[in-house]
Amino acid sequence: MSDGTAHLETPRAEARRTANGERRILEVEGVVKRFGGILAVDGAAFDVAEGSVTALIGPNGAGKTTLFNVITGFYRGDRGSIRFQGREIVRRPPPVIARLGMVRTFQITKALARMPVIDNMMLAAPNQPGEQLVNLIVRPGAARRREREVRERAGELLALFQLERLRDEYAGVLSGGQRKLLEFARALMAEPQMLLLDEPMAGINPTLGARLLEHMHTLREERGMTFLFVEHDMEVVMGHSDRVIVMAEGKVIASGPPAEVRRDRRVIDAYLGGGATVGNQA
Amino acid sequence: MTPPLGITFEAFTDFGFWTSVGILAGTYTLFTLGLQLNVGFTGIVNFGQAGFMAIGAYTMGILVVKADWSFWLALPAAVLVAIAFGLLIGLPSLRLRADYFAIATIAAAEIVRITAQNARELTGGNQGLFGFDDSWNDLSNTIEGWLESAGWSNPETLFPLFLVVWATALVATALLHFAQRSPWGRVLRAIREDEDAARALGKNTLVYKLQSLAISATLGALAGFFLAINLNFLNPEEFEPLFTFIGYAILVLGGLANYWGVAFGAVIMWTILEGTRFIDLPISAEREASVRFMIVGLVLILLMAFRPQGVFGKKEEMVLGE
Amino acid sequence: MEARSVPSVAHLPLRERLRELPAVRWARFHPESAAAGVIGVLVLVLIVAYGVHDVAQTGLNGLSLGSVYALGAVGLTLVYGILKLVNFAHGDFLTFGAYMAFLVNVTWGAPLVLGIVFGIAATAALGVAFERIMWGPMRTRKAGLLQLLLMSIGLAFLLQNTIQFIWGSQIRRLDVNVIDTVEFLGLRIGRTDLIVIAVGFVTLLSIGAMLKYSLLGKRMRALSDNFDLAETAGVDTSRIVLYTWIFAGGLAGLAGVLAAAVTDVKPQLGFELLLPIFAAVILGGIGDAFGALAGGIVLGLVIEWSTLVIEPRWKISVGFAVLILVLFIRPQGIFGRARAI
Repeated sequence: MSDGTAHLETPRAEARRTANGERRILEVEGVVKRFGGILAVDGAAFDVAEGSVTALIGPNGAGKTTLFNVITGFYRGDRGSIRFQGREIVRRPPPVIARLGMVRTFQITKALARMPVIDNMMLAAPNQPGEQLVNLIVRPGAARRREREVRERAGELLALFQLERLRDEYAGVLSGGQRKLLEFARALMAEPQMLLLDEPMAGINPTLGARLLEHMHTLREERGMTFLFVEHDMEVVMGHSDRVIVMAEGKVIASGPPAEVRRDRRVIDAYLGGGATVGNQA
Repeated sequence: MTPPLGITFEAFTDFGFWTSVGILAGTYTLFTLGLQLNVGFTGIVNFGQAGFMAIGAYTMGILVVKADWSFWLALPAAVLVAIAFGLLIGLPSLRLRADYFAIATIAAAEIVRITAQNARELTGGNQGLFGFDDSWNDLSNTIEGWLESAGWSNPETLFPLFLVVWATALVATALLHFAQRSPWGRVLRAIREDEDAARALGKNTLVYKLQSLAISATLGALAGFFLAINLNFLNPEEFEPLFTFIGYAILVLGGLANYWGVAFGAVIMWTILEGTRFIDLPISAEREASVRFMIVGLVLILLMAFRPQGVFGKKEEMVLGE
Repeated sequence: MEARSVPSVAHLPLRERLRELPAVRWARFHPESAAAGVIGVLVLVLIVAYGVHDVAQTGLNGLSLGSVYALGAVGLTLVYGILKLVNFAHGDFLTFGAYMAFLVNVTWGAPLVLGIVFGIAATAALGVAFERIMWGPMRTRKAGLLQLLLMSIGLAFLLQNTIQFIWGSQIRRLDVNVIDTVEFLGLRIGRTDLIVIAVGFVTLLSIGAMLKYSLLGKRMRALSDNFDLAETAGVDTSRIVLYTWIFAGGLAGLAGVLAAAVTDVKPQLGFELLLPIFAAVILGGIGDAFGALAGGIVLGLVIEWSTLVIEPRWKISVGFAVLILVLFIRPQGIFGRARAI
C-alpha cells in the first residue's frame, strides 16, 4: 500500500520497498540446497510483495517444495539469504519462523489424525498461556480465559469453512478435501502475515477448491495477508495470482504477471520443450 | 485330599502376599506412568526408565548413607539429579528419530547401571547399599500407630508402605490426567501425532519433549525410592533393562494413552510375576522363574498381535495412527 | 541483486556456527576418513603410552570380540534395514546358536566344527520360522514400528527363558581347548581365540563379497535402500526376505557359538552382547551391512584398547559411551554411506 506513512518506516523497512512502492515481505537471494550429489536448488532468487498472491510453478523436480522447505526452516539451506519482513531467517528453526508470522501448509496434509478437529484448530492459536506448564499452576485463570477465546475463534473459523459439524470428529476420519480445508483453517488460526501453501488444490474437488480460493482473496483484501503457493493447476495459477514465479532445475527462470509468464519462451521450453503456450488457449 | 497336580493356591488368601504384590504394583505404576506420558502422549520412546529409577534410588541412598544427609532432604535432591540427567541425555538425543532415541536412552541407562555396579566405594557395587531407611521406618511405625488407634490390631508391617506408594501413585495419575487435558497436553499430543506439524505452527517442540522426559525422570526416581525402601537394600541387578521392558509390558497391557489403565496393567503384571512364585508347581524354583518370564513374553506378543490397544486403549489409537 | 556465497551464520545458534568451521565441514563430508584419522591418533597415543606390545595384544582381543560383534551386527542391520524391524530378540539368536552347538558338541560329544555347523543351521531355521509365524503376518497387517519392536521384546523374553527352562541357568562351557596358546611376533593368543578370529573374518569376507558382487546381495542392498521401489522394479521381495532371515539367523548363530567358545554358555549370553551389537549397527549406519561389519570390528577394538586405560570391568560402558557419542554427533553412522535421517 503506497500511502503517506512511508516516511515513518525504519531504514530497514524502507529498503524493502520496490520501485513501484510495494513492500517486499519475503526476499530470497542465492539459495542453494544440495542433497548428497543432487543440487535441488541452485541459486534461487525472487521477491514477494506484501499483500500479493504469488504462484510458484515449474515442472516436476524443479525444486519448488525443496525451496519451500528451506524458506520455512525445515531444510537447512547450504547458501543464500532469506529475509522475512526485513529479518534474516535462513536456517532458523521452523517454530521461530512460524511465530514471526510465516505459516505453511504441507503437500501431504498433516492433519493430526488421532486428535479431534477442534483440537487441531485450537493447537494453532498463538500466545496460549496454558501451553506453559508453569502457567497451569500460577496463572490458571489467564489460561482458562485464553482457552475460551481460542475455542470460540476456532469455532468461527470452522463455521467459515463449513467444517463445524465435524468439530468433535477425529481428524483422521475426514476426507482428503476436508483435511486440506482443515489445514488451511488451522494455518489461519495461527494469525499469519504470510501463508505458504504447498499444492493447496491437489486432490480436492472443484467446489471445495473454489471455496478455498475465495477465502484466500477475502483474506488478502480484508487483512492484507500475503500468499505464496505452489501449484500445478494452471487455471488456478493464471486466474488467481498477481505474479507467477517459474522454477526449473533448481533456478528461477522467469517471474512476472501470469499473462507475461505464459508467453515466456524459457517457461514454455522448461515445461514442454517447445511448442504450445502454457495454460489455456483463450 | 491332595490338590490336583500338587498346585496349592494358599498364598492367594494371604494378606501379606497381596500387600507385597500391591507395593510392587504401585511402584511400577509410578514407573510406567512416566512411560505413558512419554510414549502414549508425547511420542518419545523412552527405554531408559530403569536408569532414572537407579539414579533416584542410588542418589538417595548415597546421600543418606555416605554423606549423612537427612532422608527427607535426600529425596528431593535425588529427584533433581534424576531430572538433570534426563535433561543432559534429552537435549542432544530428543532431536533424533524415535528408534535412535530409544537406543540412546537404553545405552544411557546401562551406563548408569554399570556405574552403580563398578563404582564400589560409592554404591557398594554388587554387594549392595543399605542402611538408608531409618527415617522411613520411623514414619512407617507412626502410620502403624495410627492404624492401630483406628481399630486395626496388629497391622501388616508392610501395609504403611503400601498406603504411601498407592497414595503417591494415585495423586500422580490424577495430576497427569488433568495436565493432559490442558493446552500443554494438547501440544504434547500434537508432537506425538506429527512433530513437524506442531513446529510449523510455532511450537517449540524440543522444550515440550524435554519437559515430558523430566517428568518421567521424576516418576522414575519416585519409583526408585519405593523400590529401595521395599527391598531395604539396593543392588544394580534391580535396574537392568529387563525392568524397563516389564514397564512396557504393563503399558501395553493397560493400553496406550490412558493413565488410569497403567495401575490396572501393573496389578495384573505383578500378580502374574509374584503369584506364580507362590503356586506350588511340581517344578524347580528356577524353572518357575523362567516360566514367569515366558508368560510375560507371551502376553506381550499376543497383545501386540491381537489387541495392540491393550485393555483400556481405544481402537482408533491403533487404526488411525502409524 | 548480489548473491552472497557463504550463508551468514551470525544470527544462528552456536551449534550451527560450529558446523560451518572448515575442519568440521570436511569431517562431515568425509566421515570415514575423519573417523579413521581419530582412531589412528588414538592408537598412536596408546602406543606411546603403553608400548606396541600391549596395544597389539589387546588389539588381538579386540579383533576377537569385534568379529563376534560384526557377525551379529550384519544380520541385525539387514533385518533392520530391509524389514524395518528393530529386533530386540536378535541377541537370543546368538544364545540359541550357542546352545545348539552345546547340544552337539557337549551333550552328543561331536567335534566343535559340527557344533558350529549345527548352530548356524538351527538358528537360520529359527529365523525363518519366526518370519513365517510372526513377522510376515504382522507386516501384512501393516503393524507399526513400535508394535513390532514391543513384539520383539516379548519374543526375547520368551526365547531366553525357554532356553533357561530347558537347560537351566548354570554356566557351562563348550568342549574347546582353552589352554593351548599360539605365539607369533611376541604376541600370545589362545588357540581358540585365534580360531574365532579366523572363522569370523573368513565369514565376514565371504558375506561382504556376497553382498557386493552377487545378484542376491545387490538385491538385498536395494531393498534395504528402498523396499517399495525395489518391489515395483519387479524384485521378488518375499524370496529376498527369506534369505535375509537365513543370513541374519545363520550369522547370529555363528556369532553365538564363537562367543561361547571364548567365554561361556549361559542364557544371558546373547542379551549381554545385544546392546554393543546395536552400537555397531548404529556406527555403521542402519541398513548398511558393510558399515555394520566395520562398526563391529572398530567397536571391539576400542573396547579392548580401553582396558589399557581403565579397569577391565568398566570396558563395556566404553562401548555405550561410543554409541551415545555417535548418536549425538552423527546418528546416520560413520562407516556406512551417508543418508539423510
